[in-house]
Amino acid sequence: MAAAIARPAPSRSPLPRLFGRGGLALVIGAYTVYTLGPFLWLATMSVRTTGEISADHYAWPRPFHWEQFRVAWVDSDFATYFWNSTIVVVTAVAVVTLVGAAAAHALARYRFAGNRLVYGILFSSIIFPPQITLISLYQILVDYNLYNSLVGLTLVYISLQLPLTVYLLEGFFARIPQDLFDAAKMDGYGDLEIFRRIVLPIGMPAIATTLILNFIQLWNEFLFAVVLITDPEKRTLPIGIRAFMGDHFQDIGMIAAGVMISVVPVILAYAFFSEKLIRGMTAGAVK
Amino acid sequence: MASTSSLAAVPAAPAAERAAPRRMTDPRRASLPVLAVFLVPALAVYAGLTAYPAFRTIYDSFFTIEGMERVPVGLANYRELLGDETFWVAVRNTFVWAFVAPILDVATGLLLALALYAGVPFARFFRIAWFTPVLLSYVVVAILWMWLYNYDWGVVNVALRAVGLDGLTRSWLGDPNTALAAVIVTHAWKWAGFNMVVCLAAIHSLPSEVLEASELDNCGWGAKLVHIIVPMLRPTLLNLYVLAFIGKMKVFDLVWIMTGGGPLWATETVSTYVYKRAFNWNTFDLGYPSAIAAVWFGVVCAAVLLLNRVFKSKERLEY
Repeated sequence: MAAAIARPAPSRSPLPRLFGRGGLALVIGAYTVYTLGPFLWLATMSVRTTGEISADHYAWPRPFHWEQFRVAWVDSDFATYFWNSTIVVVTAVAVVTLVGAAAAHALARYRFAGNRLVYGILFSSIIFPPQITLISLYQILVDYNLYNSLVGLTLVYISLQLPLTVYLLEGFFARIPQDLFDAAKMDGYGDLEIFRRIVLPIGMPAIATTLILNFIQLWNEFLFAVVLITDPEKRTLPIGIRAFMGDHFQDIGMIAAGVMISVVPVILAYAFFSEKLIRGMTAGAVK
Repeated sequence: MASTSSLAAVPAAPAAERAAPRRMTDPRRASLPVLAVFLVPALAVYAGLTAYPAFRTIYDSFFTIEGMERVPVGLANYRELLGDETFWVAVRNTFVWAFVAPILDVATGLLLALALYAGVPFARFFRIAWFTPVLLSYVVVAILWMWLYNYDWGVVNVALRAVGLDGLTRSWLGDPNTALAAVIVTHAWKWAGFNMVVCLAAIHSLPSEVLEASELDNCGWGAKLVHIIVPMLRPTLLNLYVLAFIGKMKVFDLVWIMTGGGPLWATETVSTYVYKRAFNWNTFDLGYPSAIAAVWFGVVCAAVLLLNRVFKSKERLEY
């Protein structure tokens, strides 16, 4: 009883003896080094020349060779890869979010025969192993002259993220109170107006989460890009880095700089929207 | 509910006319063209870029396809598959990975979540820091860990040499005995934070009375973990297991970049083998890899349905 009273924040400390204090600090410290350490090591190597790295792989950068980034950006084609990635991913994310939001709205709001069937069909492809579409998509894009083109890759990316987008947004849109829609109907709003002027603004937090999530997943996508793009001019960042590594296996400093270029947008998004991102990534798993 | 409110909104009108306008104003209903506007783009994307390619892959698996030339071969691809040793090695590796590694992932995630739940300062910072690897692309993670595993200067071997265990140093990705484990550890490194966040959210949503009651009963933490926390988190933990399982059945990027399936097929997975047969070896036949893809598609769907059924059949714990 005394323990219960002495406890300052009862909701937070039901498990104070889980590990000893010192043991707990040790576990947490060690795990933090384990997750962040490799990444910080990479960051230090990105501002050191390969010569310096070969001399000692774990030394602190001195001086900081920021020009490595300029070299990677200009001379090693990372600018091309970066802009290709940006064009493909931004277009695909914009389209998939709009298309997915429209479908999610219809599925969440309207009663019609086959509603759950359509939802099930759209959602079930989330478990498909990618190979089942990969080989045929390659042939189809060749047939339609979209192989080796950023347009083709964008289309494929739209289809890849559609199930997740519909799933996340349907769950959220279904929770918008029906009263709002009844009121809007009474005010004479048409169905499209309701979508544009009620669902999209009210759903903005969920839509933003979906946008960021789709952005990161596509920014990191590798398999479809490596199959559907062979032209060096059209490489996205993941396959660009991989190709660079294939050609310059020993040039560790330059690889590290290229990797940092590809990671920076993700880290920036994470810095600003960490909670949104974590919620989006884990939305499907929390029961 | 919805229909009554809209009914009330309709002004009194002759019975004959009332039916039609009410149908139009029921906000839960929409005319076919409206539904089409909302649904057709998504369904078109699905039909053209998911359903059609999937069917076409299955159809293609009954052919030998070299360039423009298609020769129907019946079940020959499937028969060849049965005798393809590399395929079976790939299946074995993928199964080992998909069934065993999720236990590692979920257990790590749960323990990390408990560590944060125990009330450490800066818990928010740790949560965000531990989640970071989830956001890095497989390409980045693969390159990073290839360096960590480097024989001469990778941190693993450097650490082993520092404590005098030179005998244990090896080329972790080049040795068939350790390559698969090394890649699995890398994959677990990337995903532990994901499991941690989900477990933490689930623990926070547990009723605190139960945990406090066990506290008053002087329940040891081991017993608390086994008898209270794990059973109460069961649905979340099983869900995480299934998610991890699905992810591992598809794993490609990490293996492809780190080892390319080698050495000696030690890390070959079904995904990498399909890719090799379709695009990397100069066999120029898309029929055979289509057959592998079709079989694997069936296996993944069946496994997910089976896991769902096994896990759902047990009564859900109510609290």
